[in-house]
Amino acid sequence: MISTWINTHLLTFLVFAPLVLGLILLCLPQKQAPMAKLLGFLGSLGVFVISLVHFLRMGGHSYVENLPWMTLVNIPVDYHLALDGLNFWLVLLTTFLTPLTLLGTWASLKERSGLATALFLMLETGMLGALLAQDLFLFYLFWEAMLLPMYFLIALWGGEERRYASLKFMLYTLAGSLLWLVALLYLAGKSGSFAPALMAQTALTLSTGIQGILFLAFALAFAIKVPLFPFHTWLPDAHTEAPTMGSVILAGVLLKLGTYGFLRFALPIFPGATLHYAKPMAILAVIAIIYGALVAMAQKDIKKLVAYSSVSHMGFVMLGMASLTIIGTQGAMLQMLNHGVSTGALFLLVGMLYDRAHTRMISDFGGIATRMPVFTFFFMVVTLSSIGLPLTNGFVGEFWILNGTYTSAFGWGRALACIAALGVLLGAVYMLWMVKRAFWGAANTDEHSGTAHLTQDLNGREIAVMVPIVVLIFWMGLHPQTFTAISERPVAELMAPFQPDAPAKMAEVAR
Amino acid sequence: MPFAESLWGNLVQDLPLLVPVLFLWIVGTLMLWPLGSWLLKSMPKRQWSGITFVVLLVTLVLVFRTPAGQGFSGMFQVDGLTTGFQILAIVAAAITVILSQPQLNALKEQSVEYYALILFSTSGMMLLVGATDLVSLYMALELMALCIYILVGYLREQDRGIEAGIKYFLLGAFSSGLLVYGMSLIFAAAGGKTTNLAALNQALALAPRNAELMIFTGVILVLAGFGFKVAAVPFHMWSPDVYDGAPTPITAFLSTAPKAAALGAFVRLFGTAFNGVHGDWAAPLSFMAAASMILGNIAALRQQSMKRLLAYSSIAHVGYMLLAVLSHDAQAGAQAIWLYMLTYLLMQGGVFAVIIYLQGKGEGERIEDFRGLSKRRPMLAFAMLVFMLSLGGIPPMLGFFAKFYLFKLAIEQGFVTLTVLAFLTSAISAYYYLNVVATMYFKEAPEGEAQPMGSGLSIVVFATCLLVLVGTCLGPWLMDWTARIVLV
Repeated sequence: MISTWINTHLLTFLVFAPLVLGLILLCLPQKQAPMAKLLGFLGSLGVFVISLVHFLRMGGHSYVENLPWMTLVNIPVDYHLALDGLNFWLVLLTTFLTPLTLLGTWASLKERSGLATALFLMLETGMLGALLAQDLFLFYLFWEAMLLPMYFLIALWGGEERRYASLKFMLYTLAGSLLWLVALLYLAGKSGSFAPALMAQTALTLSTGIQGILFLAFALAFAIKVPLFPFHTWLPDAHTEAPTMGSVILAGVLLKLGTYGFLRFALPIFPGATLHYAKPMAILAVIAIIYGALVAMAQKDIKKLVAYSSVSHMGFVMLGMASLTIIGTQGAMLQMLNHGVSTGALFLLVGMLYDRAHTRMISDFGGIATRMPVFTFFFMVVTLSSIGLPLTNGFVGEFWILNGTYTSAFGWGRALACIAALGVLLGAVYMLWMVKRAFWGAANTDEHSGTAHLTQDLNGREIAVMVPIVVLIFWMGLHPQTFTAISERPVAELMAPFQPDAPAKMAEVAR
Repeated sequence: MPFAESLWGNLVQDLPLLVPVLFLWIVGTLMLWPLGSWLLKSMPKRQWSGITFVVLLVTLVLVFRTPAGQGFSGMFQVDGLTTGFQILAIVAAAITVILSQPQLNALKEQSVEYYALILFSTSGMMLLVGATDLVSLYMALELMALCIYILVGYLREQDRGIEAGIKYFLLGAFSSGLLVYGMSLIFAAAGGKTTNLAALNQALALAPRNAELMIFTGVILVLAGFGFKVAAVPFHMWSPDVYDGAPTPITAFLSTAPKAAALGAFVRLFGTAFNGVHGDWAAPLSFMAAASMILGNIAALRQQSMKRLLAYSSIAHVGYMLLAVLSHDAQAGAQAIWLYMLTYLLMQGGVFAVIIYLQGKGEGERIEDFRGLSKRRPMLAFAMLVFMLSLGGIPPMLGFFAKFYLFKLAIEQGFVTLTVLAFLTSAISAYYYLNVVATMYFKEAPEGEAQPMGSGLSIVVFATCLLVLVGTCLGPWLMDWTARIVLV
């Protein structure tokens, strides 16, 4: 009976199963923390397996659940979840990373680890809900629901500056999304609906100036989440202070919701304003690429370095989208997955290192390779994928994005593509330089140094976490079509209004 | 005797409208009378709050059973707005009564007058929200306020309490003077024929051109009078000191019930009588709303005392609600305020319950006292967390829905700038609410043992907490209810 229910309500099940599981874990006494962790891991693994099995069987049709929920201030709110080409792989990435992270950080948290697992599962609910929601109000609710578990993950299990970092994270994202809510309310009032399609029709009837303001309000909320260049300052703090599981999921999925928000809502609702603001967006994205890379180069803390590399990589995603070409956007879609896998893996590895050495300073290490060869192998693979070496996943995404930017109809396309290509180079510089200092060379002989504490190489559990990631890295690098085929059509539809010959085609259709 | 007959006829017709109020008066008087005291002497003092609570419940039932209608020569009216805001006043009073019991026990200050005064004050609010005439409105306002002046200064042994009482009385009396003066100016400007709100609206529309200044002055004075009652900037000066000095249950009462009633009357008065002269008061009221939001939230940032923090944040919440008073559509405004006030009442009641519990242990006044509450009393800390997040308007708490409803209305009415300001300031408010959460969860607890909580208090905490949490699911039902707040 349950399996029939799951068959018909798969999306509801996916979204709320982690929440229910999390609530159950909350009720377990503190002494049962190992039990809670086990249950959390098995449960989220179950969610992943169910999502994988169902999605692979999906074939041509897509999953939709659409029920009227309530009438809010005379505007109907629908409980509308749908799985389509745009969110397919991101949903799978989320369900994939959750059990993996729980397994990877099994031994990291000493205190109240049951509570952390519960919060983590609630976070998964928020992310899946936001990815699947097709109604903007529903999306907003899930979007905000992600904040609280993350806030507590950072604030309860974070590093020294955790209070500052958690509050900054919370207020930054809250301020952005509140302004967005104003725009949402305005548009919903005009169109009488929270459905993006109806909102898009209404937006067309508004004046260009108002469209621009509304687009900026949408863009601000999403740009803070991405984070785009001037709004990125919360990210390094949050990443550095968060416990490993928080960092992994923050980099792996949370940031993608910003770019996903652009693709899903901001672009289709305001095509005119998007065209108008594509250039500033692209410029900010390129600044983020270069700036993130340069700052990353100057970091002494490995985790902070990875955090800034996130800014740089997410800049690529934004650039690909701002190019408004099909190939650029496809590249952005792929780069989102790449970044989720590679950076998520990097944070996991840094966490494993920190668990052993209790330091993340590059200068405390040196010669890790001699002490932990297996760890070094995995770190090298992930590093190379993060740099974007051909055959790994990073290469394909970045190549498509640069290609799209270069060939875009905009005058600025070529110049920005050239500058952004510099970012790829810088990425190689900071990553490899860090690896050289920390992993190679003679072992740091100081007995208080980090290297001295590295007595154990990766154990079976940790290897089990890394193997699927490495497989994915090469799969995505060698056969990216697996991951991009499904988004081809939606992206083409999304980009149709922006193609150079679109007005002519539209006129034809109109005639 | 035709006169007596017509009087009798009118009374039979009109009195049913006042049944709940009359019930409160009778019970309150009985409680104060020697007869009542003699009846009550047989039971311990601590049970008075229980009796008062039951009385309020009965009143609530009576309110539901009161038929809609108009009476007393157009002085009083029962409609959806009256019923809705009467419910708010009664619920607030009931929460206060439950909160009072442990607090007054701890202070050994139980007295029957305290509860009687709460009942009388509540009856004043119930009259206030149904008043459709300047005179009855003023009378009801004074009935409500006079009782509260005494309640604020109830702890006469404490300097702080006396100061608060005197301050509130002086400023309240002053604001009443302004209010009456404004009313008399409007009465004169409207031709000196009527004080009925609906009739005033027509009379003001027909007023001669040279009366415009008089109307304007009158409206502004009335606005100032109401500004005092709801503690909107720049008439808010009394509220932090009074909140701080009053007994904590009365602070809870003060921040919810009179505000709800005054806002109900505010909407009715400005939405009906002064609807025609919207232009006169729109700009000053916008200023008041904006200033309340900004000042309330920014001043709350720096507070060390929990009660003062709540006082300032309450100023900010009033600022949000003034957006709804501004609305051209008085009925929609009343609905938004009702919903907002209901949620605010529940959250505020819960927060004060937590404070009173901690006060019983000699702390709870300062935010620092909340350190490590999550370790000492995890359930209490969780309840406080829910209240704080809900007050901050963070989804999916109930407070978010109320804010959403309110701001949606404000945007529809075209107050985009004010709404953006409201959103920005509520992001500021998230900072200090979260600061309390952070203090509870991330700071180490001082040494101390956990004490069991009074049963009444725990009921309030859990009931309110549940309501706020479940509020998300109750959303549609609440929305339906809100639609019943009709202004005839």
